[in-house]
Amino acid sequence: MATMSEIFAEKKAKAEAMGGPEKLARRRAAGVLNARERVTKLVDAGTFIESGLFGTSGSRPEDHDRSPADGKVAGFAKIDGRECAVVANDFTVMGASSGATNGRKIGHMKRVATSRGLPMVFLGESSGARMPDHMGARGMGSLLGNDPTQYARMRETPWASATLGLSYGSSSWYAVLSDFCVLRKGAVLAVSSAQLASLAIKEEVDPQEMGGWQVHAEVTGFADYVAETDEEALQAIRTFLSYLPSHHKEAPPVHPVPEGSGANMANIAKLLPERRTQVYDVRAIVRAFVDAGSFFELKPRFAKVAVTGLARLDGRTVGIVANNPLSRGGAMDTDACEKITSFLVLCDSFNIPIVMLVDNPGFSIGIEAERRRAPGKIMNFMQALQLCTVPKISIILRKSYGQAYLNMGGGRNSDEVAAWPSAEVSFMDPTFAVKIVHGLSPGDAGFDEAFAQMNKDNEAWGIAAIYAVQSVIQPHETRDYLIRMLDVHRQRLTNGVGEHLMRAWPTSF
Amino acid sequence: MATIQIKAEVSGSVWKIITQVGETVEPGSTLMILESMKMEIPVIAEDGGKVEKFTVAETEAVNEGQIVAVLSK
Repeated sequence: MATMSEIFAEKKAKAEAMGGPEKLARRRAAGVLNARERVTKLVDAGTFIESGLFGTSGSRPEDHDRSPADGKVAGFAKIDGRECAVVANDFTVMGASSGATNGRKIGHMKRVATSRGLPMVFLGESSGARMPDHMGARGMGSLLGNDPTQYARMRETPWASATLGLSYGSSSWYAVLSDFCVLRKGAVLAVSSAQLASLAIKEEVDPQEMGGWQVHAEVTGFADYVAETDEEALQAIRTFLSYLPSHHKEAPPVHPVPEGSGANMANIAKLLPERRTQVYDVRAIVRAFVDAGSFFELKPRFAKVAVTGLARLDGRTVGIVANNPLSRGGAMDTDACEKITSFLVLCDSFNIPIVMLVDNPGFSIGIEAERRRAPGKIMNFMQALQLCTVPKISIILRKSYGQAYLNMGGGRNSDEVAAWPSAEVSFMDPTFAVKIVHGLSPGDAGFDEAFAQMNKDNEAWGIAAIYAVQSVIQPHETRDYLIRMLDVHRQRLTNGVGEHLMRAWPTSF
Repeated sequence: MATIQIKAEVSGSVWKIITQVGETVEPGSTLMILESMKMEIPVIAEDGGKVEKFTVAETEAVNEGQIVAVLSK
């Protein structure tokens, strides 16, 4: 008769064998990691303590033996020495479909993460709800709707997700509810499978066209980061979390300042073209003044007119919001508004000070913009900025016009505003102003007089003279200025913790 | 072989085409420069590849979203 420890070893081996050697071999051949390998690559070596290893499908007795860990590997582990909660879908076990037992596992991970202040990581690859468990009135009643807080995100702790294969149903919901969403090339993030979509709408649906990386990187903006491999995706989650506190009631961790940080400051002015009609990539300027190698851009292929990303200054996390003239001269459209809004919510919810870099001709206007709800999007962005309680510093590099001047932190919408000497600030192009107010175009009689009246001094010195910017700084002073001003504005009274007034705002807009 | 369609991000006119058909370009390369909103706006190949053809010529007007070049990879 087997001893208790032999029974234990046998059950443990069976659970850890996942969906069996054949399915695991097929994944290996395709260059795709399995759920347990993913967890191992994600976390610090030897730190994973599993929760629910012996869980199996609870709905149907015939599934007990073929559902190791019920298809979702869960537990606690350390990432860069900090405790986290992890759920990794095991597609080799019943397609990692959602069932009663694994639902309880996820619920437990989330409750512990939220109440104890741990970041939550989801590694998604799931066929969706388990069949036939969910079918029929009894299936629905017993499996769904038992957790009234399941999808209520209050941003108590950071959530990071990687979608690493076919992902439908709750796996997709957790991906888009996360603060950071990675998609691996080849993965599909969608409400339901292409096959089901084809049946529903009676036409062929290409999975990649429906929910592949390009869609989410460029069209929906759900993907903060696109990875070539599982390994790269898991590393991206580690990198993201390195900028974040473990929970909302502490300041982000402070890292050592890498050697060579700020070494290119003497040349930063050269990154801005001399002629105002020429564009440049603002990311080169960002990389020059932040700590060496610390700029981690989010959603780089979505709404490229605006750049959002995490970085460090003097070892401390900052959120960068920058207009990028390289794309459409930096004119912000509704996608850019949504991208910046969601980034401001992220920063404010996790006590990350914000640095804004301004160079744009204003918001994109026109019929298309209005149809895409431009007024609403501009105000969501504006409201988010004004609700931020973390320190905000805005630097006007070049153009700042109209309402966009306010959205990019102009006036008292930042705690400090500085202008480079190249800054130009006004309400609109003076030629347009003459046409609107006087109905005159260049060449008309009286145009020149009207133009002279409209074309008021728009240089940095004018706005500095009335103290509507606090400082005019030279480009090479930018790093030192920001480090010092972030120190001045550190939230000493609350140990660097803000008020999180947008903690319940949507995670996508 | 995948083809990549490069679209104009803005309406304007083609000022200068600065790459050649047959040339292999790195990700992030500028293919041509448009004149729009009184600015010089580059058309960038995000992914890189071999330039198969240009579908516009210098001085021609382009609309936002119009395909201006085709690359292969």
